[in-house]
Amino acid sequence: MKFKQMVNPAKGLGAVMTGLVLMGTGLSVQAATDEYLLTVTRPNQLHVIDTKTDKLLRSCDVPGTFGNGGIASSPDGKVAYVMTNKWEDVYGFNISDCKIVFSMKQSTPMEQVKSIISMTVSADGKELYTVQNPVKLHKDHFEAIQPRLAVYKTDDGLNAQPVRTYPVDRRITKLGFIEKTSEVILGGGDIKAIDTTNGKVRTLAKLQNWDRSPEGWVPPDAFAMHTMGEHIGEYIMPYFTIKWNGEPGDMEKAEFLWGMTKVDTKTGDVTTGEVLPFEFIVFNWVTDPNDEDIVYGSFNQLSKHNIKEGKTLAVHPMPHTYYNINMLEDGSKIYVGGTSSDISIHDPKTLKKIGSIKLAGDMSTSDLRIAKVQR
Amino acid sequence: MKNRSMKRVLRFGGAVAFLGFASTVSAIDGPQIIKENCLLCHSETGKAEAPFSRISQQRKTPEGWQMTINRMKSQRGLLLKPEDERVLIKYLADTQGLAPSETADFRYVLEREPNVVEQNVPEHLASTCMGCHSGARAGLQRRTTDEWQKLVHFHMGQVPSIEYLAGHRDRPWFQIALNETSTQLGEGYPLVTKAWDDWKAAPKAPLNGDWVMSGFMPDKGEFSATVSVMPNKKDEYTLLVNGYYANGTKLTGSGNAKVFAGYEWRGAVVIDGRKMRQVFAASEDGQSLSGRMFLKNDDVIGGEVFAKKAGKSPVIVSVSPTYIKQGTTQTLKITGSNLSEKISLGKGISVEGVVSKTADHMLVKVKADAKAMVGDRTLAVGASSLDAALAVYDSVARVDITPGESIARIGGNGGPIPKQKSIYRAIGYAAGADGKPGTEDDLKLGYMPATWSLKPFDAVAEEEHDLKYAGKINAQGIFTPGDAGLNPERKMSTNNVGNLAVVGTVTEGGAAVSGEAHLLVTVQDFVKELIQ
Ligand code: HEC
Ligand code: HEC
Repeated sequence: MKFKQMVNPAKGLGAVMTGLVLMGTGLSVQAATDEYLLTVTRPNQLHVIDTKTDKLLRSCDVPGTFGNGGIASSPDGKVAYVMTNKWEDVYGFNISDCKIVFSMKQSTPMEQVKSIISMTVSADGKELYTVQNPVKLHKDHFEAIQPRLAVYKTDDGLNAQPVRTYPVDRRITKLGFIEKTSEVILGGGDIKAIDTTNGKVRTLAKLQNWDRSPEGWVPPDAFAMHTMGEHIGEYIMPYFTIKWNGEPGDMEKAEFLWGMTKVDTKTGDVTTGEVLPFEFIVFNWVTDPNDEDIVYGSFNQLSKHNIKEGKTLAVHPMPHTYYNINMLEDGSKIYVGGTSSDISIHDPKTLKKIGSIKLAGDMSTSDLRIAKVQR
Repeated sequence: MKNRSMKRVLRFGGAVAFLGFASTVSAIDGPQIIKENCLLCHSETGKAEAPFSRISQQRKTPEGWQMTINRMKSQRGLLLKPEDERVLIKYLADTQGLAPSETADFRYVLEREPNVVEQNVPEHLASTCMGCHSGARAGLQRRTTDEWQKLVHFHMGQVPSIEYLAGHRDRPWFQIALNETSTQLGEGYPLVTKAWDDWKAAPKAPLNGDWVMSGFMPDKGEFSATVSVMPNKKDEYTLLVNGYYANGTKLTGSGNAKVFAGYEWRGAVVIDGRKMRQVFAASEDGQSLSGRMFLKNDDVIGGEVFAKKAGKSPVIVSVSPTYIKQGTTQTLKITGSNLSEKISLGKGISVEGVVSKTADHMLVKVKADAKAMVGDRTLAVGASSLDAALAVYDSVARVDITPGESIARIGGNGGPIPKQKSIYRAIGYAAGADGKPGTEDDLKLGYMPATWSLKPFDAVAEEEHDLKYAGKINAQGIFTPGDAGLNPERKMSTNNVGNLAVVGTVTEGGAAVSGEAHLLVTVQDFVKELIQ
């Protein structure tokens, strides 16, 4: 494949903007906020890291077999919900003392239920949401049934049961929560939002069902294995597409593009469109809190891009693959983690490495999230 | 980005559980075994033509039944005595098996042939079902549409990430698989077929008697042998193998074989101290066997085998080499039985004499006239003959390396998974009447001896020194990949993976002609399956 001679992707961007303003402004840091970095390692431990010192504060044992290492934080930062047991169970930990304050198991002997990373918490912290993919276990056969949004009350404590469920699409991965409308963002083939009080679903951005001709475009491959964006309140669903400038299939003339659907989790404002030429694989992206046009990406390299100009600004090669990335609220540090057992800390200006945190086990596919606790 | 994607090549290999050969006898028959062991979860339908839920609505190969029973045991909690299991699998494969014509397109997967690029798979399967295993896995089953749909539901529970995989998640995979693929499978591979009804009703020829076999083992070369097949119990045989490798050294072995559905021959033999497996199909008339024989513990190391039943009249199995150059003299090995010395190869080829003769072959010296016409010749030995047995050619114009696309896997180095090698052979062609190689009229000459080397496949492979790390090829065209594990010498401390070209060179009269194959050296396959 050739990735050279790409046309400025900003050209394509205008045509597909469905949203209003580009979201996310760099919030000024409140001196009264402590930020903790959360991640899970194998065999199955939740780690709490102080971002002031970049030292490990404590490690909490997570019951069950490692799953994907998914984490969602309560809005007050005090409770970390961890997805475990092969994508089935969730435990909520007090991050100050590892106490388990919430738990739920989705599967029953009659039904296998998995959540493919889909987990989020309401803005008031009272509800936890998962998208459940149920398979009925009949005596001599299985039956896959419609996925559903399951709503749990976080103060139901241990062995919580869903208080409401609503049918949703198949193939949903990353969730988010829109504060203004009390909707859960459903990242699937298209990006939708579901009203958590009545189950009404609306489309935020069409991806797989977009209104572009197949002669001109390959339907986007939108996929997320991790959740982040809490540093500024954004939800990013990256996607990959190909623009045929010649005949469909003519790779020589084709453009390979990264697109992004972004949702402002405070207001629900949506922007979507192609932002960068595809130059290398990036697994996850975060936006710079101080400049909404700047994004950082992680995988085999840490990279910095200007999505308004469609330009790669800097590439910092990494010693191994890092699936994951996150940032502090003030934009002072980038954390690159996942895959292996070290979190690499970088300066957003130069991408230079400024520190490292070594953990006891591999992070594998685990989330790397920021919990903000008011002092 | 290093683009390591390639055409889908099947990755076979590794140790396999094999359909049991032990001889403890079960006291009860197939239906009784089902009644006593399966009805905790399955149910009786009350219908004589399909008495048991799920079990009676599908047909598959012995390996297919073995896989299902393995899953019932390992994941559903079935407890089954080994002797009952053997009887049950034989019963199911015999009564709910596939006809020879139904397996013909997919023999490679049963034979565990490595590096097959599947070509016989319908488009709807290719895009929906080949992300994890071969299309042949489905092609080797027959079900009702309802059962194909139940299979899709099974996949959703068994592999919950299935609809999220790259190549699936950009469309409604589940809905497509359930509503479109299953319907097409139900039409293309239905439970009830005339082929199976006819085959089930047809009388089956017993396979005991004397056979003449010709075959190839990558590390030993071509061989010929007589195989005495003695009946044991019904559909079970004892074998004695005696023969010769191409260089004249002797080959001896023995073992046993079991036949399923009247033609699926599964043999376990020890030849010259090495444990081997035979996966053959008997022809419908029971007069020939064809398939593959491979090392039990390294099934990449194996090759094609063909055998014919010996009778009173002469039988020709094969000729090697399959080519002769104009104006040269050559010794041909004719494998067969009761071979007479009345040999003819048509105009322009003279038989100079029989060099030697054994029970399974004859060495014959032949000479091709300088002006002998280029093309295939029929070999006649007494009253029997073999078409296109020998190609007369002017010069080697093209060499193809087979397999053209291949995968090898790093391994060993103290790890639990051995290296998965890959093997290559060179096939020569003459240019044909138009004098241009690579055109339709090229004349296939057959396997030719070659020298072997490796080179980087592309610029990225060169830059990353894949050649240095990914492995080595020997004089027999056997590639052995590098050690497993991260290599600190390499960029990003990567594994000893690589993207290589395998170059085979045939030299003839001072002129060298080369062909190339693509070899992707990749990481271990952690799951080995009976049907890949
Ligand atoms: C403990 C319960 C249990 C027992 C005992 C059991 N099965 Fe099953 N069987 C299942 C379940 C559950 C499924 C569906 C899931 C699957 O295919 O693995 C199934 C599916 C099957 C299928 C369909 C597989 C396919 O590919 O569609 C076959 C055939 C089958 N079983 C045969 C048997 C036979 C034969 C026995 C007895 C020797 C047996 N089972 C015993 C639970 C059981
Ligand atoms: C995500 C990987 C994946 C994909 C995609 C996939 N399969 Fe499978 N398939 C499996 C696994 C895992 C098994 C279970 C093997 C075992 O029993 O150990 C299986 C088993 C099977 C079997 C054997 C079942 C039996 O017991 O006889 C068939 C037939 C089959 N698949 C057909 C299909 C078809 C048809 C499709 C497309 C609709 C498909 N597969 C797509 C992973 C996959």
